Amino acid sequence: MNGKERVLKTLKHETVDRAPWVPFAGVHAGALIGKNATEVLLDADALYDSLMAVKRLYQPDGMPVVFDLQVEAEILGCELLWDDVAPPSVATHPLENTTDMLCDCKQPEADKGRLPLILDVMRRTKASIGDDTALYGLICGPFTLASHLRGNNLFMDIILDEAYVSQLMAFTTMTALKMVDLYVEAGMDIIGVVDPLVSQISPDHFELMCHESFKTIFDYIRVKGRASSFFVCGNATRQIDVMCKTNPDSISVDENVDMKAAKVITDQYNIAIGGNIPLTTLMLHGTQLENMKYVVNLLDTVSNHNLIISPGCDMPYNTPTENTIAVAQAARETDSVRSMVESYEAPKEAIHVELPDYANLSKPLVEVFTLDSATCAACTYMLGAMNVAGDHYGSQIDLVEYKYTEKVNIARCKKMGVTNLPCVYINGRLIWSSIIPSRDELFGVIDKLLK
Amino acid sequence: MNETLTSINELMQKGNMAEVVRLSQVAIDEGSTSTDILNALLSGMSVVGVKFKNNEVFVPEVLMAARAMNGGLDVIKPLLEAEGVESIGKVVIGTVQGDLHDIGKNLVSMMMVGAGFEVIDLGVNVTPEKYVNALIESKAQLICMYALLTTTMVNMKKVIEALEESGLRDTVKVMIGGAPVTEKFAIEIGADKYAKDASSAADEARKLIAV
Repeated sequence: MNGKERVLKTLKHETVDRAPWVPFAGVHAGALIGKNATEVLLDADALYDSLMAVKRLYQPDGMPVVFDLQVEAEILGCELLWDDVAPPSVATHPLENTTDMLCDCKQPEADKGRLPLILDVMRRTKASIGDDTALYGLICGPFTLASHLRGNNLFMDIILDEAYVSQLMAFTTMTALKMVDLYVEAGMDIIGVVDPLVSQISPDHFELMCHESFKTIFDYIRVKGRASSFFVCGNATRQIDVMCKTNPDSISVDENVDMKAAKVITDQYNIAIGGNIPLTTLMLHGTQLENMKYVVNLLDTVSNHNLIISPGCDMPYNTPTENTIAVAQAARETDSVRSMVESYEAPKEAIHVELPDYANLSKPLVEVFTLDSATCAACTYMLGAMNVAGDHYGSQIDLVEYKYTEKVNIARCKKMGVTNLPCVYINGRLIWSSIIPSRDELFGVIDKLLK
Repeated sequence: MNETLTSINELMQKGNMAEVVRLSQVAIDEGSTSTDILNALLSGMSVVGVKFKNNEVFVPEVLMAARAMNGGLDVIKPLLEAEGVESIGKVVIGTVQGDLHDIGKNLVSMMMVGAGFEVIDLGVNVTPEKYVNALIESKAQLICMYALLTTTMVNMKKVIEALEESGLRDTVKVMIGGAPVTEKFAIEIGADKYAKDASSAADEARKLIAV
């Protein structure tokens, strides 16, 4: 079963071999190829290359092409504030001071705004990795889009002017349907309707003002022969039930929602649920071990049927690559990672590790620490790069791999203070962590030592 | 609390501005003091704050309650001034530089007003200089910073550094909050307090400046 089949079967609520792994790399994808957020969102080649890097390093079963909730808003007349390390924010709201409706002529078309770029990258991505990777086209949900257009007034409109909100929601629902058409045509397998603000209104207001819109969108996606996902952010615990009633194929939640409790509800509706690796505390600021532990614990806590492992929302730009690699490994090789976590946390065992006498080595010693070079792509590439050096320098250097799957190597990592894998130490010093060096860079370091 | 004040309190919670405004005037005419009416308004807002914290009401209800409260406050403002009733403290609040999100910041601002503070709201995308200038002008006891993005929360530290450089850090308490912000981060950047939600922010503000 390949990744795409795994995701699509999960969204059809069929049994799969393991829960699929779907990283929402977002602008973080740019960090993998040295491009900033603005560059990956405005340059088709940069975006495409960044997605290929996500595929190569994180081995996803499914992945979004673009995670930017401002695409539609920009087309509809909102001004954006761009940022190098985050998606743009909406700076102005065209309907902030008027209850007039926008002209239908402003609705998205394939040649408007950034859609030519996005559709182009969707098609290229589909052609290159679409056979084995489920591709998500993410659209801005109708309620959040309404708030982009109207600003915060929308929240009081809900109470003071229901008729206007209904009219606005009808407009933004039409926008969503147009986006579905465009993204389906560009080959997207799954349409994710991302509506973070749904968590900010009561379930009653959701049913009154939003239910019809979302149900219309999810029904439309189904008619188009594609799967759907309803993304929400924030504490949506109270809204999960009414979200399920709009009949998406899956729901995606962040760390503010208790997955165990939420899954009880989604299981009642036979809807898949995805989530909810904490973005800031874990993926951005946590350690590899903490990230692995969270994923293993999540997989051990809830039924793996109808489950997708994902970050809570789009990943921060500076998320350490090694943390995502750890999450990917935990999602893909759960048993092996569970053992790693257990071994790491076990009371001190009498595993004696002798470290080399780094100060008195007879030749350069290249030590490659991996989670498991057989199953972790980033580890495979790192080891592969070092093997190139091994072949080139032959007996002039010593090269050794330590896999974290073995207890003795965990003990070695602890003793050496190795915290992020894959990494390379040369003569006892950390030289590369997660980022695989180019041949020139690698040879440069070794040549210097050989002189 | 007499019948009119009780009604003000209840209607406040329902966000019925028109009735709160009308009954605030009735209460004045009946001889209630501005402090009594103020307390009826603030206690109504406090109930809304607790319900918001418990996920029983959501943003629209809080905004409506705040609107009703402000309507009532406008009615009694001249009396409060005439009677020399002072706020319990001054707070400068804003969303940090680079961040345009304001719902969370507005909610904190409303809860602060509801707790009896005078709030100087600097809006969104607020530079460190603007915080410092607002502090100099207002002599506030507390600065509140809000960020919704992991990429902008780091700008909170710049504000604290600007306060230190201008020699004002010891004159003011600093509280931070927003979705990606944590207690650990608050400690790291030298803030005095992290508040996890709008209601907690108002509670913590009272404690911080020992009202």
